[in-house]
Amino acid sequence: MALEIPKVSYSGKIKEIVLGKGDKALTVGGETSYPFYLFEGQMSLKPRIAMEVYDSTPEDWPPAALEPFADVVSDPAAWAKKCVDTYGAEMIALQLVSTDPNGENRSAEEAAAVTKKVVEAVDVPIIIWGCNNAEKDTEVLRKIAEDCAGRNLMIGPVTEANYKQIGAVAIGYEHTVIASTPIDINLAKQLNILLGNLGVPDGRILIDPTTGSLGYGLEYCYSVMERIRMAALTQEDERLQFPMVCNLGKEVWKTKEAKQSREEAPKLGDPVKRGVLMEAATAQLLLLAGADILIMRHPEAIGLIKDMLNDLLAA
Amino acid sequence: MVVCVAENINIMSKTIGAAIKERQAKPIQDMARDITRAGADYLDLNIGPARKGGDETMDWLVKTVREVTDLPLSLDTSNPAAIEAGLKANSGVSLINSISLQPERLEALLPMAVKYNADMIGLLWSQEGMPRDANERAAHCVDIVYKANEAGIPTEKIWIDPIATPISMDINQVLAGLEFMSMLLEIAPGAKSIVGLSNISNGTPHDLRHYINRCYLIMLMKYGIYSAIVDGYDEELLTIAKGGMVEIVNLVHGMMDGNEPASKDLSPKELEYYKTARVLMGKTLYSHSWLTV
Repeated sequence: MALEIPKVSYSGKIKEIVLGKGDKALTVGGETSYPFYLFEGQMSLKPRIAMEVYDSTPEDWPPAALEPFADVVSDPAAWAKKCVDTYGAEMIALQLVSTDPNGENRSAEEAAAVTKKVVEAVDVPIIIWGCNNAEKDTEVLRKIAEDCAGRNLMIGPVTEANYKQIGAVAIGYEHTVIASTPIDINLAKQLNILLGNLGVPDGRILIDPTTGSLGYGLEYCYSVMERIRMAALTQEDERLQFPMVCNLGKEVWKTKEAKQSREEAPKLGDPVKRGVLMEAATAQLLLLAGADILIMRHPEAIGLIKDMLNDLLAA
Repeated sequence: MVVCVAENINIMSKTIGAAIKERQAKPIQDMARDITRAGADYLDLNIGPARKGGDETMDWLVKTVREVTDLPLSLDTSNPAAIEAGLKANSGVSLINSISLQPERLEALLPMAVKYNADMIGLLWSQEGMPRDANERAAHCVDIVYKANEAGIPTEKIWIDPIATPISMDINQVLAGLEFMSMLLEIAPGAKSIVGLSNISNGTPHDLRHYINRCYLIMLMKYGIYSAIVDGYDEELLTIAKGGMVEIVNLVHGMMDGNEPASKDLSPKELEYYKTARVLMGKTLYSHSWLTV
């Protein structure tokens, strides 16, 4: 008797979401099986990687992270261009850290001006990530949504505290929202229900399940993402059938291990390789948990992940 | 019929908390009368950890409530001295709420249950904390019944509490609790059972909590739950506990047996229970909007 390999039976499918506009627009999602289970279903749309760009010169990055961008860190538009032209970025993620009221507290107008420059400098899809202060993000993302109307930016994080305001401008000015919840599957579902009730079309929602770095709670994120995918694919949980975004670069590179120099941590090996490998390992695990979009920092880590994707998807 | 232990006389309540602190009998006696009239079978007297002066507080509270109702009392505090004060003060039937597998609880409270001829809630909580699944609950159950028997407490006086955890936290724990309940009669023949019903809806928006509590009670009834700690003001819940709303009960029990009703044929009330049962059975993932999607 021939051995029959048991198969999971799937009843759901992840929605396909278009990112950006024009020739360089991308589509993610569409999975009909668990991540890379190509023997059980389809994963015809590749997960994508967005390269980080910051709206102000980073001050606490380790040399390994700074080196590839040293010539452009003070100019977000040039930085984005370098990511695309030199490192082949297929997407950009603009991190608006300087808008944080507890930091530089730059105004919505300033943030919108920087965004505008970045949007004009490159033609790949762009994620705009706020400072994670619900009130300030509302103000900033509204202004940006308006100024960049029709560009289909991916804007977030959109939370239970500001989904109405940001959801409304996303509908009005045709952008995609990144629905962000704190590592909790029930809350993730609830926020997507609320966005749907508000009228945000299903084609314009991405899930941010919240991401930690390798060694800093990643297993918790992993299991919530895994459960989100299981509910979406095997329990027909329609409000969870959206692609997932993981903003991992900043999580990895702020860890002690990624920052310590050779002198500070002589037993931890080459500090450049160390950070790159931590970022790549984190990204790899998140892909295995079901991530569709990764926001990453180091070109070498990105290279490793692209190789992995090509290997796993070459069936 | 499910024995209803009303949870309302609780130090966490604003009015009751203040009344206990200031030794004002009236708000407490008014509530005790109300709930007795509403059909509760037991009154739970929850004075919290009561580290300071717990014995005096419980003594006063028991006597205060005794003046207006004959119902048996469930003495609910983590302070053993306060439990003992309550047992002494109570001229009627007492239930100790609760005795877990933590050695200090066993040591202090089992002899009291014997001495005062009280019933006890056997909480399936061990030194390692919360049981992780149905099997750990079963093991804890065997343990606690054995220890109580050994101390001289007959199985009939043990009310096993499998511990309900919030639906908004982890559905697998809810399912494990139900699975355990389906095995309890075989594990501990003769033992009674009790569930703190409102825990299941902890974290759910306040005005929606009773929907979950009621449906969960119906599900526990399928496995012969003996008793539940309930909101004594929830009339619909008490109706269910007293054997009412048979059609709704049959609907939910049918779903648990694998009969999927055609949701389009259901009345609004049936739909409410149908949707809630699906969430509690793990068929639909919980979200705060579960009733409207």
